[in-house]
Amino acid sequence: MPTHLSRARTLVAVLMTSAVVLAGCSAPSLSVLEWSGYDKVDFWTDFHTASPNTKVKFEFGSSDADILGKFEAGYGSTDIVHFYTGWQQFYVDEGLVQPIDTSKLKNWDKVPDSFKKMGQINGKQYFLPWDWGFTSILYNTDKVKTPITSWSALFDPAYAGHISMWDDGPGAVTVSAYIHGWDETKITPDQLATIEKEWTAQKPLNKTYWVSEFPDLCNGIASGDVWVAYDWQGCYAQTLYDGKVPVAYANPKEGRNSWVGLYGISSKTSNYELALQFLDDKLATLSCTNAVTQFYYGCANQDVMKAVTDPVLIKAFSLDDPAILQHTNFTPLVTSAQRTAWTEMWARVKAATP
Amino acid sequence: MLGRRGSLRYLAVPPFLWLILLFVAPLLLAVAISLRPDSGPINFSRPWQLSTLQYQTIIDSPSWLRLLLVSAGMAFIVATVATLLAYPIAYFLAFRARERAGLYLVLLLVPSTASFLLRVMAWKLLLGSDGAINSFLIWIGVIREPIGLLLYSQAAVILTLIYVWIPFAALPIYAALQRVNRSHLEAAADLGSGPWTRFLRVTVPLSLPGVLATFFMVFIPTVGEYVTPSLVGGTGGIMFGNLIQDFFTRAGNWSLGSAMAVIMLALTLVLVAIALRVVNLRRALA
Amino acid sequence: MTIASPVRRRSSIGIGNTRLPLGPAYAVMLVLLYLPIVLLAVFSITANTSLSFPLKNFTLAWYGDALADSSILDAARNSLVVGTAAATAATALAFAVSLAVLRFRFRGRQLLLGLSAAPLVVPFVVLGVALFLGFNLLGIPRSLLTVAAGHSVVALPYAALILLARMVGLDPALEDAAMDLGATYPTTLRRVILPLLGPSLISAWLTSFIVSFDEVALANFLAGGDPTFPVYLYGELRFAQRLPVLIAMAVMLMVATMLLTLLANRLRSSRD
Repeated sequence: MPTHLSRARTLVAVLMTSAVVLAGCSAPSLSVLEWSGYDKVDFWTDFHTASPNTKVKFEFGSSDADILGKFEAGYGSTDIVHFYTGWQQFYVDEGLVQPIDTSKLKNWDKVPDSFKKMGQINGKQYFLPWDWGFTSILYNTDKVKTPITSWSALFDPAYAGHISMWDDGPGAVTVSAYIHGWDETKITPDQLATIEKEWTAQKPLNKTYWVSEFPDLCNGIASGDVWVAYDWQGCYAQTLYDGKVPVAYANPKEGRNSWVGLYGISSKTSNYELALQFLDDKLATLSCTNAVTQFYYGCANQDVMKAVTDPVLIKAFSLDDPAILQHTNFTPLVTSAQRTAWTEMWARVKAATP
Repeated sequence: MLGRRGSLRYLAVPPFLWLILLFVAPLLLAVAISLRPDSGPINFSRPWQLSTLQYQTIIDSPSWLRLLLVSAGMAFIVATVATLLAYPIAYFLAFRARERAGLYLVLLLVPSTASFLLRVMAWKLLLGSDGAINSFLIWIGVIREPIGLLLYSQAAVILTLIYVWIPFAALPIYAALQRVNRSHLEAAADLGSGPWTRFLRVTVPLSLPGVLATFFMVFIPTVGEYVTPSLVGGTGGIMFGNLIQDFFTRAGNWSLGSAMAVIMLALTLVLVAIALRVVNLRRALA
Repeated sequence: MTIASPVRRRSSIGIGNTRLPLGPAYAVMLVLLYLPIVLLAVFSITANTSLSFPLKNFTLAWYGDALADSSILDAARNSLVVGTAAATAATALAFAVSLAVLRFRFRGRQLLLGLSAAPLVVPFVVLGVALFLGFNLLGIPRSLLTVAAGHSVVALPYAALILLARMVGLDPALEDAAMDLGATYPTTLRRVILPLLGPSLISAWLTSFIVSFDEVALANFLAGGDPTFPVYLYGELRFAQRLPVLIAMAVMLMVATMLLTLLANRLRSSRD
């Protein structure tokens, strides 16, 4: 046994050294900090076809905060990062990203100006918008007879035990801000205390807090456990495709929320040109279309959105309603102190007995 | 020729080194992180400030500490019931299965190699409002409304955890029961004991190290459990581990998460020390 | 003291000869454990793309798809490699710890025992973050190796508890006898102790393997570009159409593990 152990130790040492060595000398490679599922080749297939020899490695984060934390702590080991609106300022303030040279992007003119602006900080184009979508209320029209017209439906005792809210403090603050007509970026401690009280009182009405759309929420809607839910349009499209449960996606009077997914290039990368090409190719027709048809998320390439003919997807993205963006609230930039306060508030809500 | 004494260093040193490098050192790093006042991402190039702000936040949130105690209570229930229910299984493996013990053991453990997530999805199919069990009970008229308790509740969490733990809980008990052999029981019979007395006064005490090992093996990690509550706990079945997980992965607040983990660690160690005092493990192990 | 007839005595103090339904208890547990597995297996051979009734027509296409899909196979292989490495390391270390703690007296004996059980108390995510930061500081790139290292630490307590529980009941006189007959200590361990530990070693190994195989929190932080199967599964579940293929692969992995451990069990008992 002792010799067995010492042999094992030598083996481990050899393996570790060779792993480190191998990591160093290899074909061109890119490292991307992504969300689960986005590593699928379909979503960067144009780049894969154009540069088949480049090895693209993906590491995963499970939330915007997680992604920022991993990117910053592992700064230098990742070339590209993918996160969602509201977090742009942190990356720029910490000097983690460098501006994107849009003159080198073939597909840049297909991106609408409003999306381009999402990725600009201090006038510089730091981020490339790629995926986007809405947040609203998804509801089962069999169980909910009157159409939902307000975010306050999430607090309605008529649906007690069948409501499902997203497990996210900032998301909860946003909903409350809409309902009360408060400015999301200027929530005072008193307002936050009210928000905490309201969501604590909502707990008995709430069946479960969902973390991921698929399979958490979509299965909940399909099984009949959840009737009313805070949701992006993914489950809306999925449920329409399944055809078993009749659902509708609300147009609340306070307005829907909209979010945009942004890609940034590390300021410490040694593969700038390669990263640029990767991002450009993501906006290309095939990669963008796959995001729409497989994820049911919108893509920043206008031509791709205009070419959508599937009636389910047209419904999901409200492509037939050009006025929708007029009363849609885009996710604003929020400070780190606010986020900390909001996530701690949410932890107290979850721990409370109402 | 390697004698017994000479072998000690090969036996004791590798585990020590392994644990110090891959466990103690990271743990100290986690404690260091918990003493940061900054709730944001870690940046080593910035000066490291020491502060007990995170611990202060925890003290200012009594609902979190209450949730920790509730979680410990749930863990206690799970550990006790799982140990009790695992004992007959272990007894069966040790004394009835004989040569087939290895086979029966493998059969018992193998379902746990299939993804937990998928297994729970399959159970949800049976336990949900439209699930098979509720549909059947409504059909035969026992209930009129679906039972909400089976899923998305604290009870669902406890039942699921017991269910998941029993195969593993049987293992240390089974290992310890192999110590009991015929001669012990024959001697007891010769002295006039009946079967139940022999069980209680010979078998059970001999298997006690295994029972204790099982109890702690189940209790300790269950205090910090988060996967099962997030899958079947719903709004009311949340445990302390969920808060820790949330602060790490959803809020990116590694400092507060580490502080909460340190508090949980401290409480668990206190509870274990109390339990060991009650049971006097040293005597059982000697 | 009366001497009852040998036959009656044998049966009345036989171990396990209780009238309690032990066999049925085991069987019930087995049924409950395999119920969801059977359900999953059923869905893996029907054309359903979601876990809901009614069942659509019978098909083996999902298994074919799974075997042809390189990303699923890679993830499965990664998990098998990591699980095997972690379980072997954890079991070997646990064996060393059990021997050292139960057969020797030395300073630090209690400490070693406590340290070996301590990873039970620490949430996986805390260890994951700490190891992530630690590896980063030391410049060690994240890879399957770092995941296996992390897993071996969290699996160690389980293996140790099982082996300790078994070894407590092992008579030290057996080792003494072997050494009196001229065997070195390593030989004694190999030819006397290891065979006696048999099923416990398998339990310890299998438990460690299971702890590693389905583990997500550590793997999320420590895996580099190669996902383990549960990490991969979680990502792929976003695509409803992928569910049946994933189930097929999960069933195949379970069957493979079962066959491998049954084989190991057969080899162990044939060597006696």
